[in-house]
Amino acid sequence: MRDKFIVIRKTIFILLGMLVIIFAGKSFYDHRNFNEPVVTNEGVTEVKKLGDYFTGISGTINDCNIYVFEGEEEGSNMLVIGGTHPEEPAGRLAAYLFAENGKMKAGKLFLAITANRSASTGTKLGGAYPPDFSIKTSFGERKFRMGDRWSNPLDQWPDPEVYIHYPSGQNLAYVDTRNLNRTWPGRENGTLTEQTCYAFMELIKKEKIDVFIDLHEAELQYPVISTIVAHENGEELATFVSMMLTDMEGFRMGVEFSPKNLHGLSHREVGDYSDAVSLLFEAPEPFLDATRGTTSREQLLTGKDEFVVMAGKHGLLFEQIDENGWPIAKRVGRHTSAILMTMEIWSEDYPDRPLICEGVPRYEEVIENGVGYYLNDPKSALKNRIVLE
Amino acid sequence: MDMFSFTEIVLGIMVLVYIVSKVFRVSTELSMFFSAVAGSLAGGFGLQPRYFAEGAITYLDINLIFITATFFMNILKESGGVAFAVREILSRFHNHRILILVLMTIILLVPGALTGAGSVTVLIAGGMVSVVLNHMGITKLKTAAIIFIVAGLSAAAPPVSLWAMMTAAGVNMPYIGFFLPLLIPCVLGALITMFLLGWKGEKSNIEEAFEELPIPPERMSWILIALPFLVFFGLIAMGRFLPYSSPIVGLPLMFLIAGATSYFVSPTKIKILQVSRDTIKQLLPLIGTLTAVGILVEIMTLTGVRGLLAVTTVTLPVSVVFGILFFVLPLSEAVLMWGAAPVIGVPLVLLFNTIGLNPIIALAGMSMIWPLGDALPPTALIGRLTVDVVGVDESYSAFLRTCILPSIIIMVMGTLMVIFSSQLDFLTAF
Amino acid sequence: MEFVNSIINWIYYGIVGFTAIIMIYNLIKEKSWEKEVLYILVIIPFLLRLFGLK
Repeated sequence: MRDKFIVIRKTIFILLGMLVIIFAGKSFYDHRNFNEPVVTNEGVTEVKKLGDYFTGISGTINDCNIYVFEGEEEGSNMLVIGGTHPEEPAGRLAAYLFAENGKMKAGKLFLAITANRSASTGTKLGGAYPPDFSIKTSFGERKFRMGDRWSNPLDQWPDPEVYIHYPSGQNLAYVDTRNLNRTWPGRENGTLTEQTCYAFMELIKKEKIDVFIDLHEAELQYPVISTIVAHENGEELATFVSMMLTDMEGFRMGVEFSPKNLHGLSHREVGDYSDAVSLLFEAPEPFLDATRGTTSREQLLTGKDEFVVMAGKHGLLFEQIDENGWPIAKRVGRHTSAILMTMEIWSEDYPDRPLICEGVPRYEEVIENGVGYYLNDPKSALKNRIVLE
Repeated sequence: MDMFSFTEIVLGIMVLVYIVSKVFRVSTELSMFFSAVAGSLAGGFGLQPRYFAEGAITYLDINLIFITATFFMNILKESGGVAFAVREILSRFHNHRILILVLMTIILLVPGALTGAGSVTVLIAGGMVSVVLNHMGITKLKTAAIIFIVAGLSAAAPPVSLWAMMTAAGVNMPYIGFFLPLLIPCVLGALITMFLLGWKGEKSNIEEAFEELPIPPERMSWILIALPFLVFFGLIAMGRFLPYSSPIVGLPLMFLIAGATSYFVSPTKIKILQVSRDTIKQLLPLIGTLTAVGILVEIMTLTGVRGLLAVTTVTLPVSVVFGILFFVLPLSEAVLMWGAAPVIGVPLVLLFNTIGLNPIIALAGMSMIWPLGDALPPTALIGRLTVDVVGVDESYSAFLRTCILPSIIIMVMGTLMVIFSSQLDFLTAF
Repeated sequence: MEFVNSIINWIYYGIVGFTAIIMIYNLIKEKSWEKEVLYILVIIPFLLRLFGLK
């Protein structure tokens, strides 16, 4: 009798466990396999693959799209990457606004919306992130994957006992072996994340990139925030961009110089191992703060959080925050304006090989109209203009 | 309702469910799980399998390290290696009290340092070391206190220190530079405990001690014991010195290869399946804890309770934080076990970082204090285990009283490391 | 090197699978309800990884 009871009990527990695995598994599977449509603007003259520059990455999950904007006139070459850390959505959304609105008048722009695709197919363990978020538009909502800081362990496992950066030999945390912003300049026969950086370095060299920009967001409790981190080869450019943004567009954007002994980061290694000027932009994202309250899609998109405000009142933050939070439009607008301003200052410095982009909204416009205003409707778009991310 | 009131209510419900579970004598692991379930419901999130599963998988890699390291240690024990080492030390040095005490400290430190779990030290070496210490005339009560405290320090000692690893991961800080800040105070604390409690005692007949110790197989030797360790450290060295021309092995596979070496050189036949099953059975409370902690932390993060605890902690006056560290850390350990690291450790390290302290030294200091909580109710997992293994006849509270003096010394050491962390930053060089 | 790394990757799936089997075996033999629940909880992550879901 008692044995029978135990068997029944055990069966019930096993069934409950299986239900969790099935439903959670489906949610994880759907997230990993959800394809976002990108409705490319006519300014996108070609869509390449990262694997076109390094076959080692071809066919892998990190073989991301490279959107090419060939300008009407000759000029310089620029590479902008979003989604180095897909848990920082403003970078990816800013890249979307370029892909769906931008057109180069002069020069050539190369754009990656999701530089680390693998990291965009999972959410942070213990982070309780929503698997996705949606942006309101006039034609309904557009859904995007929320991601992680690190490449998905399903694509790169196990982690080493300690991660030793190539080629500097610097010891880093073992999980950072899957952090795309700790594996620059990459390694040809390294891990997936290292190979991804290697492929981007090949792109930078083969396409003779003049300016490289890596888009990020940061928690308010992190000292490197609302700033441009510049390699020494881009100090002057970054300083002017910062000054002009503060003067002309009404938001504060600082400048920090890339520390020489901090390895694996794009602002250091791209500058050191290529001829490109290397810059990294940081926008504020209260969603990443350890003191944040409820973890929700709403918090992610509005940046409103009473707890983070409280931490700010005690002087623990490096960026201001009030009850208005940090809406996604503000964060995306900072990025689009900063990229456009970089092109403008660059063109003033090098008038014979300018970078001129049209159609992309700036800070004030994005705040006024919202991000969704600048996203196109996949349903009414021409099939050949749609690319999946 | 504002966010503070809302999360305070959710926290209140979670605490209540935890207490009720404990009153009904439910294990700490399941009490944490039930508390998480209640938190998710109270927060209005229902029971979404995604979050429970994501929380459960948070510490998968750490669980793998646990399982493979303990598997290795169990094979070493089954092969007679541990018994051989203890017998050899006893027969050679039984007239040198200082040397015996030092060597027993080392034997106790190794399993926990490698696995990150004090209970592994107690299970692998506790029984045999207690025979030796009893032979040295140390009472069972004092022996249990020594083994418990040194086991706790062994867990905090490098290379695997879960409190430091979990907290560092929570603040995006590399788990680098912790080796000396963890090693020096843990070894020092262990030696102080051993000599404080083990200095006095009348030595008994060595033959009696030998009778109690298991007999190792004849062909067992120091070389056979050393070989798997050499393989393990060889693999670590390979990864560190030839990082670009060697494959990424990872700690779990390293332990497994070391275990395989131990298996193949063992003079006795080892039933590998039986050892595997026993390892899992032995570790269930620990991997269960880590899994439940993962779920609890995920739900606390989802509902904002984690943020509430974090913001409350970081906005306290620093002097108050220093003053209550010595009892908040063991208390949080007693309630949450390793969950204390992501829940309490993360905001504290953020605070220390913001006020200009060295986060590595401060975290190492905190890591020393945490394991002391493993003797305290409601969990008292390792404390009770030690008392069982040693076979203490007196009450549990008598055991706790014996632990007080060395515990105070360790708390003072840990707190001083936090306060003077900036001055000690030279320790982070390695 | 990539080949060796991919073999190691497979070995890890093997470790996870083997551990899951041992856990399931222990679960079947288990008589206490608390440990049964605990086994179910700890098996979940192992199976999710084994099936390539998380």
